[in-house]
Amino acid sequence: MVAVPTLSYEDLVLDRSDTFQVHTDVYMDREVFETEIRNVFERTWVYVAHESEIPDVGDYKTSIIGRQPIIITRHEDGEVYVLLNRCRHRGAVVCREALGHSNYFRCPYHNWAYANDGSLVGMAQSHGYPDDFDKRGWGLARAPRVASYRGLVFASLSASGPSLDEHLAPVRPYVDCWFNRSPAGTVTVLPTAHKYPYPGNWKWQAENGHDGYHGNYVHESWQRVLDRAGEAPVRDIRRYRAGGCTRGFRFGHGLLERPGGLNPAASWTGRMMVKYPEYERALRAAYSEREIEEISKRRNILLFPNVYLFDTQIRVISPLAVDRTEVSLYVYALDGVPDSLNQGRYRAHERFYGPSGFGSPDDVEIFTANQTGLQARGVDWLLLSRGQHRERRLDNGEVVGHSTDEVPVRAMYREWKRLMSA
Amino acid sequence: MTTGRTDQAPAPGVRAPAGAAALSRPEAEGLLYRECRLLDTLQLEQWLELFTEDGIYWLPIVEGEPEEVAAGISIVYDDAERRGERVFRTLHTPVLDQNPRSRTMHLVGNVEVAGVDARGDTRVLCNQVIAELRPGGPLQVGLNETRLLAARCEHRLRHTPEGWKISLKKLLLLNSDQPLYNLTFVL
Repeated sequence: MVAVPTLSYEDLVLDRSDTFQVHTDVYMDREVFETEIRNVFERTWVYVAHESEIPDVGDYKTSIIGRQPIIITRHEDGEVYVLLNRCRHRGAVVCREALGHSNYFRCPYHNWAYANDGSLVGMAQSHGYPDDFDKRGWGLARAPRVASYRGLVFASLSASGPSLDEHLAPVRPYVDCWFNRSPAGTVTVLPTAHKYPYPGNWKWQAENGHDGYHGNYVHESWQRVLDRAGEAPVRDIRRYRAGGCTRGFRFGHGLLERPGGLNPAASWTGRMMVKYPEYERALRAAYSEREIEEISKRRNILLFPNVYLFDTQIRVISPLAVDRTEVSLYVYALDGVPDSLNQGRYRAHERFYGPSGFGSPDDVEIFTANQTGLQARGVDWLLLSRGQHRERRLDNGEVVGHSTDEVPVRAMYREWKRLMSA
Repeated sequence: MTTGRTDQAPAPGVRAPAGAAALSRPEAEGLLYRECRLLDTLQLEQWLELFTEDGIYWLPIVEGEPEEVAAGISIVYDDAERRGERVFRTLHTPVLDQNPRSRTMHLVGNVEVAGVDARGDTRVLCNQVIAELRPGGPLQVGLNETRLLAARCEHRLRHTPEGWKISLKKLLLLNSDQPLYNLTFVL
């Protein structure tokens, strides 16, 4: 019998100047997963909704933080509340819909009723409680902290820690560029989303969204489709994909960036500005040329741990078990642009993303191949060192690498290690 | 939010306008069976031929009319060009998500010829149960499981010089608004 070495969580990420490795247990071990739920998802800022999903007073959406059921509501004071979806009496969920409109939530068990800010407004047959029963102490529990940035609503189940402003600060300039593709600087999420489950660890998806290394291999099929459609020969696509950079930030955030510019042959923004002169006018009215060039760079931005900002969608990663994950792609409209521009984006989204797209399902195949391969336990470590020797650290702590390098994934695992070791 | 899953069947007694070709239920069944056979035997290029030039292959997330779809997101909304790409990609490019390929078995039932739409195309309603399996080696996560997908379908058929052609194939999965794993085969 071979003794099984016991690694502490800190030892699962090997972060040295000459190599960067992650242990198999990071993706396969149930205890690691349970600790992730506690130390990562229940402590940091987790994305829960976009404000446009609950625009009106009384609107609500249900979701999860880690694996805890929550309700995100718009109360009559106009504020967004994040409530734990659990009756304070005997624990049943008080809301079972995905999305809806109601100013009250009524527990189906004994008819306790709560306002959509969580306050307990009444219990059935209340004569069973003394006259001085203090309802104020028995409202639906609220997430200790809720904050939003430009409509992105985050919640934290921890009362302490960095503020959302501090949490997002390192990556905020890039998030702003992402929003500013809209001349109004805002987006509106559509009511239906693409969702897909996969039988694998959640971090496969977290790692892959800003991986610029896999495209020529996993998405060769997609490149051939574009070539056939006359949009670009495969060699040009590959040249484009070699450009740009990767960036890693504090708090685990990271991004993949593609070259932009105003040249319609080389940039989506450039093409849209030619196709829709009103879009060009609106952008130029709102931003300088230099700002538009920054905005035009296509970026996939991971706001660690659970949300990606993509060109067509806000992508939410929900870990369900160590080997089970759900991904939701919330497609959004860019506000203040022609309807047909957005509709073109929706059709482009369907073409690549979602359960029947020409791209996403190829990525999911890799996640399952990873999960299958890691059953071979004669090997302990995965290598995430690509580009370590050529990355640059800026004065503000941001790390920049080649577009195919594993800079953002190292940023993610540094934060993961910090949280898991705490 | 409501997903509006109301039954869309028109009132009984709606008939094709005078002069239009009428489609009997056995004829409609024959067309549906032929489509299923083409899909189950991966004759996808022949499947493309079943459609009119303006035909749409549509997997909506919520119930609705094809005219409403442009402003929202569907699982699939394929015009002729996109449908051609889908088949080309599946058959002639190094796809991962169809390697191994899906084996499918389509079952069609509850077929009704349900009048005509505003363009004069004949509406054919049916239910479909699709069994699907991607076979692989031992331990392969995500493979080796038979899935059952149930869907309410509407075909709109147009009589052309080459016979009846599909101007719309709409397939609303029972779980269309739920998380859906690999739907890269043609349903």
